[in-house]
Amino acid sequence: MEPQPGPIPAKMNPREEKVKIITEEFIENDEDADMGRQNKNSKVRRQPRKKQPPTAVPKEMVSEKSHLGNPQEPVQEEPKTRLLSMTVRRGPRSLPPIPSTSRTGFAEFSMRGRMREKLQAARSKAESALLQEIPTPRPRRLRSPSKKELETEFGTEPGKEVERTQQEIDSQSYSRVKFRDSARKIKPKPQVPPGFPSAEEAYNFFTFNFDPEPEGSEEKPKARHRAGTNQEEEEEEEEEPPAQGGGKEMDEEELLNGDDAEDFLLGLDHVADDFVAVRPADYESIHDRLQMEREMLFIPSRQTVPTYKKLPENVQPRFLEDEGLYTGVRPEVARTNQNIMENRLLMQDPERRWFGDDGRILALPNPIKPFPSRPPVLTQEQSIKAELETLYKKAVKYVHSSQHVIRSGDPPGNFQLDIDISGLIFTHHPCFSREHVLAAKLAQLYDQYLARHQRNKAKFLTDKLQALRNAVQTGLDPEKPHQSLDTIQKTINEYKSEIRQTRKFRDAEQEKDRTLLKTIIKVWKEMKSLREFQRFTNTPLKLVLRKEKADQKADEEAYEAEIQAEISELLEEHKEEYAQKMEEYRTSLQQWKAWRKAQRAKKKKRKQAAEEHPGDEIAEPYPEEDLVKPSPPEPTDRAVIEQEVRERAAQSRRRPWEPTLVPELSLAGSVTPNDQCPRAEVSRREDVKKRSVYLKVLFNNKEVSRTVSRPLGADFRVHFGQIFNLQIVNWPESLTLQVYETIGHSSPTLLAEVFLPIPETTVVTGRAPTEEVEFSSNQHVTLDHEGVGSGVPFSFEADGSNQLTLMTSGKVSHSVAWAIGENGIPLIPPLSQQNIGFRSALKKADAISSIGTSGLTDMKKLAKWAAESKLDPNDPNNAPLMQLISVATSGESYVPDFFRLEQLQQEFNFVSDQELNRSKRFRLLHLRSQEVPEFRNYKQVPVYDREIMEKVFQDYEKRLRDRNVIETKEHIDTHRAIVAKYLQQVRESVINRFLIAKQYFLLADMIVEEEVPNISILGLSLFKLAEQKRPLRPRRKGRKKVTAQNLSDGDIKLLVNIVRAYDIPVRKPAVSKFQQPSRSSRMFSEKHAASPSTYSPIHNADYPLSQVLVRPFVEVSFQRTVCHTTTAEGPNPSWNEELELPFRAPNGDYSTASLQSVKDVVFINIFDEVLHDVLEDDRERGSGIHTRIERHWLGCVKIPFSTIYFQARIDGTFKIDIPPVLLGYSKERNMILEWGFDSVRSLSEGSYITLFITIEPQLVPGESIREKMSNMLKKFESQEDEKLLQATEKFQAECALKFPNRQCLTTVIDISGKTVFITRYLKPLNPPQELLNVYPNNLQATAELVARYVSLIPFLPDTVSFGGICDLWSTSDQFLDLLAGDEEEHAVLLCNYFLSLGKKAWLLMGNAIPEGPTAYVLTWEQGRYLIWNPCSGHFYGQFDTFCPLKNVGCLIGPDNIWFNIQRYDSPLRINFDVTRPKLWKSFFSRSLPYPGLCSVQPEELIYQRSDKAAAAELQDRIEKILKEKIMDWRPRHLTRWNRYCTSTLRHFLPLLEKSQGEDVEDDHRAELLKQLGDYRFSGFPLHMPYSEVKPLIDAVYSTGVHNIDVPNVEFALAVYIHPYPKNVLSVWIYVASLIRNR
Amino acid sequence: MAEVHVIGQIMGASGFSESSLFCKWGIHTGAAWKLLSGVREGQTQVDTPQIGDMAYWSHPIDLHFATKGLQGWPRLHFQVWSQDSFGRCQLAGYGFCHVPSSPGTHQLACPTWRPLGSWREQLARAFVGGGPQLLHGDTIYSGADRYRLHTAAGGTVHLEIGLLLRNFDRYGVEC
Repeated sequence: MEPQPGPIPAKMNPREEKVKIITEEFIENDEDADMGRQNKNSKVRRQPRKKQPPTAVPKEMVSEKSHLGNPQEPVQEEPKTRLLSMTVRRGPRSLPPIPSTSRTGFAEFSMRGRMREKLQAARSKAESALLQEIPTPRPRRLRSPSKKELETEFGTEPGKEVERTQQEIDSQSYSRVKFRDSARKIKPKPQVPPGFPSAEEAYNFFTFNFDPEPEGSEEKPKARHRAGTNQEEEEEEEEEPPAQGGGKEMDEEELLNGDDAEDFLLGLDHVADDFVAVRPADYESIHDRLQMEREMLFIPSRQTVPTYKKLPENVQPRFLEDEGLYTGVRPEVARTNQNIMENRLLMQDPERRWFGDDGRILALPNPIKPFPSRPPVLTQEQSIKAELETLYKKAVKYVHSSQHVIRSGDPPGNFQLDIDISGLIFTHHPCFSREHVLAAKLAQLYDQYLARHQRNKAKFLTDKLQALRNAVQTGLDPEKPHQSLDTIQKTINEYKSEIRQTRKFRDAEQEKDRTLLKTIIKVWKEMKSLREFQRFTNTPLKLVLRKEKADQKADEEAYEAEIQAEISELLEEHKEEYAQKMEEYRTSLQQWKAWRKAQRAKKKKRKQAAEEHPGDEIAEPYPEEDLVKPSPPEPTDRAVIEQEVRERAAQSRRRPWEPTLVPELSLAGSVTPNDQCPRAEVSRREDVKKRSVYLKVLFNNKEVSRTVSRPLGADFRVHFGQIFNLQIVNWPESLTLQVYETIGHSSPTLLAEVFLPIPETTVVTGRAPTEEVEFSSNQHVTLDHEGVGSGVPFSFEADGSNQLTLMTSGKVSHSVAWAIGENGIPLIPPLSQQNIGFRSALKKADAISSIGTSGLTDMKKLAKWAAESKLDPNDPNNAPLMQLISVATSGESYVPDFFRLEQLQQEFNFVSDQELNRSKRFRLLHLRSQEVPEFRNYKQVPVYDREIMEKVFQDYEKRLRDRNVIETKEHIDTHRAIVAKYLQQVRESVINRFLIAKQYFLLADMIVEEEVPNISILGLSLFKLAEQKRPLRPRRKGRKKVTAQNLSDGDIKLLVNIVRAYDIPVRKPAVSKFQQPSRSSRMFSEKHAASPSTYSPIHNADYPLSQVLVRPFVEVSFQRTVCHTTTAEGPNPSWNEELELPFRAPNGDYSTASLQSVKDVVFINIFDEVLHDVLEDDRERGSGIHTRIERHWLGCVKIPFSTIYFQARIDGTFKIDIPPVLLGYSKERNMILEWGFDSVRSLSEGSYITLFITIEPQLVPGESIREKMSNMLKKFESQEDEKLLQATEKFQAECALKFPNRQCLTTVIDISGKTVFITRYLKPLNPPQELLNVYPNNLQATAELVARYVSLIPFLPDTVSFGGICDLWSTSDQFLDLLAGDEEEHAVLLCNYFLSLGKKAWLLMGNAIPEGPTAYVLTWEQGRYLIWNPCSGHFYGQFDTFCPLKNVGCLIGPDNIWFNIQRYDSPLRINFDVTRPKLWKSFFSRSLPYPGLCSVQPEELIYQRSDKAAAAELQDRIEKILKEKIMDWRPRHLTRWNRYCTSTLRHFLPLLEKSQGEDVEDDHRAELLKQLGDYRFSGFPLHMPYSEVKPLIDAVYSTGVHNIDVPNVEFALAVYIHPYPKNVLSVWIYVASLIRNR
Repeated sequence: MAEVHVIGQIMGASGFSESSLFCKWGIHTGAAWKLLSGVREGQTQVDTPQIGDMAYWSHPIDLHFATKGLQGWPRLHFQVWSQDSFGRCQLAGYGFCHVPSSPGTHQLACPTWRPLGSWREQLARAFVGGGPQLLHGDTIYSGADRYRLHTAAGGTVHLEIGLLLRNFDRYGVEC
């Protein structure tokens, strides 16, 4: 027997009871004779049953039943068997107490007791005797039939029992009884001998294992043995009670004989016929069964359960969702299922805890996720998540821009914007006749009227007023006493104030309505009179006034009532006011009275005091003013108020006797035909007909399409009805319509621009409403016919008063929408193109569909939408949105400015951020990799932090700090400070561009490919092999070029070959101020003459030829290395020495880019070596030489390294920069004249030096970035005509093909980064008037002055950081504002000045030494060409050999560009006649005429007068600074200032300025000598343009004046600043050292 | 404050059906990592193998990181592209691999995959080139739900990476 499937413990009790009842019934039915005993028995049995612990399991019952199945069995035996069977089945531990209980239960029963004793005895016997015996297999064999039987008997039972419920027990028992009956009916046969146990019984007896002691596990085997062996005994005992009947022995024997159960059963078969009775099949009617089932089963109803049943008594259902709590979405369950469940629960478990507050079954939110967590079997149609979407891309030609960045761009899409332009209406047009003007006005007014009428605000306000009055009335009603009086009063007051407000509004509205109506009528009347006057009509407009009569009486009543109401209200108000005023009056009166009293008292006192101290009276102040006696307010007069009200009503309201007027505008009128009109009108109409209008559609400021040109209708309406489909790729930036009007066949004129809004993404074609956009034009049109024109005053009156001025205006009706693609998807550029806002946060909310994507960016809109759509704030799905909104709306809430990407990062960090940032090593490494200038190519970063000095960063940090701080001490005036800042910004932007260009590699940058020799080269070289060897004819061999990669410090040397110099100033013998030379001065002359040679000192003055005039030597300094030549002699020395200077690249970075940006300059200084005899005693002359060497600075040449680098070598003669006055030196012409052959050179003034400079080994100059830059720059936007730009490219390409080395410039970049055609920069511009006034008649002098002025503007190369790559050209006014610029700006300004002076002038682009590529100015004057250097102000003749300009690339005039296509480009050898096309290729020619480009320059330059006071102040400051500096430079010596000399010098500097440093030397010297004759004097004035203080200091330093260490030296320093217009300052510094002659 | 040097090269790729290959690579790290020097991403040249099917790039990688934590250990990601005879480029595979975490030299092989696309796209790819590409490149190395993609296997990218770690032991990371 198997345990029943899943019996519930709770059901166990009923089951047990049931079993008991069954047995009872069974007993009743039994036909045993011994009824009474049995009854007793049953009672007895009931008792122990009840005592039985509930642990009794079904198994037990089953076994019990098996007994019960035996109809005749002795009842008393049952407990035992049951117990036994129980133990068999359940194992030893389950039934501990039973034996004892049963024992006590049966104790009184004698027979039982006897039996037990017997059994006991038998047991003990058996135990003793058969302890060792092994159980025979018999009982086991017996088991199988029993099993069968059991199955047959009870097979159906368990199933039935499961379904049983408590209620059914009765019926169940009934059926059970029946069942038993039937079973019994079959079985009773073998029971014929009544005393015998039935077969069944016997079988049971044998098959059961008797385990009486369930506790003791040891006893179990014993019991088994006993059971196996003592069958007979047991049987005997068992048989005993029924033994009263006979045949016991026989049965016994039979059993013993049978011994085997099988035999027994076989035996049974033999007698089957006797026992078996055929019975009909047991059948229960379907009715019965149904009945039964109905009783057994419970079928819950499908009806909806009313809520009250589900809830506790008197509880209203509560809906949490309505209360704002988040409840989640319930899982989907069919309604009927739910009902069934509810019914069942109500029935089964009436506790009702299954139901929630809302009366529904409690349910968790739907646990089903919206998407499967396992990959679905994808079919192609299935949509893939957006992030994982792949996009089919065509194989594309690789684009090289931005290549090595892995990124995924937006999908390029073709999106479409539909622009529907339906028409255009002019609200004013020049061709409007007066009538049209009126008609337009009328139409407008009528529209307004209609709009107002529709709104009908007056009515609304009237109603409101009425309602308010009613409310006040009811509020005052005493019938509502339940509210406190206070609140009533309060509300009434509120009402009243509102009434006041509303009344005011209503009156205003009514008045407006009325005036509008009046104006309409007035305009109409005007129109009518106009039509009458001009005797024709132009417009079909017609106004009809419809009168609506109202019931006059009612009207009047209403009117009167209204007035009365108003009056009463006003009265009330006034009363209140009056009361208030009265109150005020009273208090003030009180005050006044009090004051008077006090006053009086005071007076009295004063009187007394005055009597006592009569003198004090006057001093008594009157602190309080006399209070005026307040006057009582006037009470209001009802009549006055009434008067007022009535007046107002009459003004603003329709009077009751007036009918309501309703205007109606119609187009029913007829227009007078042409032949009846006067001429002027006809011509107007003709004109209108001639006009046509079209619209251009501009997308992102580019014209994409235009409408057809439609003639203007007589009603000034144009119908287009065109739809433009714009295929676009990007999100549109702007959408513009341009209205063009064409008159006749003339070119169209732009009337106006209309900006259309870009539609929201929700607006798609078909849904877009037509909108009207107004436009207006500011053009002025006067017409000679009836048309009133535009922007022109006209009048309707005959006398011309009341003038009107109207502008052309109109409306375009259009609609713009996104097109819808084939598959219904709107062709809208993705949101990401507009802005990548908080897309992700809003992904789930479908806000997009409701407010449009553009709304998402608008927080307010979003918040509004959230409020409207009642987003559940507790729904976790909406959390991001809600937070966003709350942040956006409240504003004050805390907005975290971070979010955590890696959540547990902090916990697992090794170190904190600060510590990481503190690491000096990391910082150094990082800065190095960022190529920060200070750390670029920094070598060997230490491994440990501690090894890194803190000061490494000092410079860098200082620079960072100072970036935004302009040092005012360096820039003395603020203007220059601002300019410096601006320039800094410009420079940074240029550098950024440069950096971008640097990353742009060409193939040639990466791969150096030797050119494959073609046949001609090959042939030539072969030919060369066969050439005769000519060892005596040396050939120049090209130096090997070295690429910059494998270079290191010390590999590169700068070779400076100083060949010779010309015209070095010579010393001048000092002449004392007393004509006779003093001793010392003679000594001086003697000394320096005597020391090198044996010339007699006496000849010094007399024989200039024999004297060594100067002993110059050259000192070259570069990168802190100084080399100097030997000392040569004479003014035309020849050194021919090669100096070798090492070159070190910054930070050891020898890359091309780094070398290009080297800013170092090679200084070539020329000194005169002066020997002074310091011998005190003449007598010692023979035995020793005591001289002091002094070096006097004569001049210098500066050559930037970048020029050397780019030019590879510099070879030429340079002008030495010599100060205008060199004290003690002179350039003696007469000397030169002595040497006749040198006289040619005297043509040019100044001294010259011949140099040859190169770098060893030769560096590959690195293809200049100019080319790349120019490619880059082409991408800059330009406002030039596309054609022109193409032409410039072509021109440049052609030029570059012919002469790749010649500079050709057509377009330049202006300061805002736009490409501008170069000729636009040239335009005559006025020089400062001040300069023109100096030499009014001398054009040449003026030109020089102007050139000087230009050169005084500080030079500041914008190319300084990367040699000659990127030029930004500023216009002349910008240049003058900035007060800084490079060659081009100087040249442009100078050229413009020359043009304005009436000269023929060109901008000359070419190469010069030492500047490299530069711009000069070429002028044509009196038959010769002059070349001007704009930065120095010098000019040279064309054939001047010392002209620094070495070759000429192109000339630029104000209207053309000429490229030099001559064979030579040296200015000496070329012809400057640009009219000859064979020599000069012009840009604009016959094929491409000059289009008349307007200039980018301003109309004229405005010059402010310079501030003299500021200049003077600056002068003082500079002087002070320089003096301090000189003292600083002489730390070991005392620096004495000779004040007398200083003042002399200061006096002298303005003269120098005036004469521009020329022709003053002699006067100067004489003057000085006169004043300071006793001093040996050496010094010179320096002249510079002023930009900053630092260059001035450097210049003074470089002269080395401070180096004199003669003990008694004195110094003099004077500064003079001459201000020119526009704050251009010319700075003169005079430094001198004086040694007193003894 | 620990430092990691990643020095090595992208040797090449093998097993691709296309022949002229180049590779865009990048290294992705977590927020705790700071690049001290080196280039984070790059692109190799196009290699057309003459012998064998292995394309050799020998593209150097030299990076120096500082880190304050182990999270977001650097990972390399690749996009292998092929260039056809018309000079058009198309995707041949995506792949990523972590930089090894033990110091020393490592030979890495990074298998790649490419999105498959619909049959039409496959057909188009077979005949006219092109092919589906990921819209968002970071799906290569992040992308928790890549399972939605249908991919085809590409070849393998071979790497040789030397790793130098510094100061990890100071923070209790043994390596």
